[in-house]
Amino acid sequence: MAAQDTMTEGLAARSGGLSLRQRRTLLHALIFLTLIGLWEAGARLGVLDPLFYPRPTSILNSFYLIYIKNGNVWFNLYATMSLVIAGWIGGSILGVGLGALVGFNAVVRRFLKPYVIVLEATPRIAVAPLLIAALGFGASSKIAIIILVCFFAPFINTLSGVVNVNEDKLELFRSLRATKMQVLRKLVLPDAIPVIMAGERLALTAALSGALVAEFIQRDQGMGALILVYTRNLNMASSFACIFTLTILGFLIFRGMEWVDHHIAYWKNEAGMKRIGDRRRRQLGPQVGE
Amino acid sequence: MSDITPNTDTRFDNLLFRIVPHLILFALILVIWEAAVRLGFITSIIIPRPTAIMGAIVELYFVKGTIYNHFFVTLTEAVVGFLIGASVAVTLAVCSALSDPFKRYVSPYAIVLNVTPGIALTPIIIAWFGYGMGSKIALAAVLCFFPIFVNTLTGLLQRDEDREELFRSVGASNAQIFRKLRVPAALPLLFAGMKIGLTTALIGAVVAEFSQATEGVGVLMSRFSFQLDMASSLATLLSMTLIGLILFYSMEFLDDRIVFWRRETRRAAASRAKARAWNARMGQ
Repeated sequence: MAAQDTMTEGLAARSGGLSLRQRRTLLHALIFLTLIGLWEAGARLGVLDPLFYPRPTSILNSFYLIYIKNGNVWFNLYATMSLVIAGWIGGSILGVGLGALVGFNAVVRRFLKPYVIVLEATPRIAVAPLLIAALGFGASSKIAIIILVCFFAPFINTLSGVVNVNEDKLELFRSLRATKMQVLRKLVLPDAIPVIMAGERLALTAALSGALVAEFIQRDQGMGALILVYTRNLNMASSFACIFTLTILGFLIFRGMEWVDHHIAYWKNEAGMKRIGDRRRRQLGPQVGE
Repeated sequence: MSDITPNTDTRFDNLLFRIVPHLILFALILVIWEAAVRLGFITSIIIPRPTAIMGAIVELYFVKGTIYNHFFVTLTEAVVGFLIGASVAVTLAVCSALSDPFKRYVSPYAIVLNVTPGIALTPIIIAWFGYGMGSKIALAAVLCFFPIFVNTLTGLLQRDEDREELFRSVGASNAQIFRKLRVPAALPLLFAGMKIGLTTALIGAVVAEFSQATEGVGVLMSRFSFQLDMASSLATLLSMTLIGLILFYSMEFLDDRIVFWRRETRRAAASRAKARAWNARMGQ
């Protein structure tokens, strides 16, 4: 270890006092810029047809156009996100509720299993045209599609979280004569909630995909429709700008869910335990006369 | 009775005993559904009768036989897309596992690809690869890339220090450690990723077909539902389920064969086969 430290120090000294981390960041940036540069050069020299593979600079220009000059992305982003949130909440309630119902009831579980297997094998997004035909164009069918696409991950995860209870711990709880409510609150939920949260995270990603497919089919508003229209007009730069918007959105969703997970399932990480522990200590401090 | 019936019969009885309640429940659901539609509680335009769906299945599969072409087109798209996506994913994962710098400078792009909803690329991929099967294969490959990549990489990166030390102490080379220790340890996770990837590849193929295509179950499905022929549409949906089941269970079969040491019975069968081969070689 010491040898490695001196080696990295030596390297750091040679490369102008930058730390290992800084040099890595620099290299990342360098690779990224080289790729972008190659892309730009390829498009400018006519190796890549700019009609299909837009230049990075024109994508940047499109970002300026759709966000600031025309500003049309905001409305569509809002339309998509409100659908995603509504569908995700609906799908979560359905998934977690059904998962808990099935998980706690062995008979229901046994009879529902074949249907779950069939449902798992079906590409659920394929029901989209059917739902649109049944519920008509508009928000209701879109939300129905999103609910259908995203309820499955919370359902399965809730089910497995509730079913996979540690037998040894359960026996200990029983031997201490814990009530059913206590077993649920103090044993089942603490182990199940992180799993359920993982399901919710998957569901939110799936909800975004579901919303996009619904908008591809309905073509009225939202990011999906925007991408479709731009691509049909061969305005690839704007289309790419929309896709990168979705990348940023996906990243925010990912990070946001991680943050929520961190705070809800606080017992799964050191920092959360410390935070809650400190708060409890503050509350209890006066009572125990600290 | 039980002492004279052979073992297989009781097993069959058990199976029968387990399956009959399921069948009764299924039949009951169908009857209630049928009755509800016939009595007008449910509009048949929205949810068709089970018998109508059955009729549509018979028509699609046996009378007209229109489904077969579409069925195999979608199946081919999903499988070819999966093969391309999986081979790229496994190659990149192996390179990342072998070389730290490679992993460091490739992983940001893999993460970007992961957080982008791959389905959003549908129109662009169709513009790039045309209206034919190419675009469906490409979307299937893009969608199935990440789960396979991440599972393979996770599998290869989990190190069992004790076993590795054992390997080193008997003088195994790095290549041997990789081949005989790290790859077998990664296989179960790799197959779990493959199963997810195969399902997402099917989703990719179907969604691309919704957007723009002339052949495939996705097209058939949207055609039927926009004609408000819900029975045929649901029959097509069941065909997609069938494709999904075929893909999933063939992967499960491969998993069973290749990762044989994970299951007791398969391990016994494999060791019996090995024993037979050895005996034959020994000239017994």
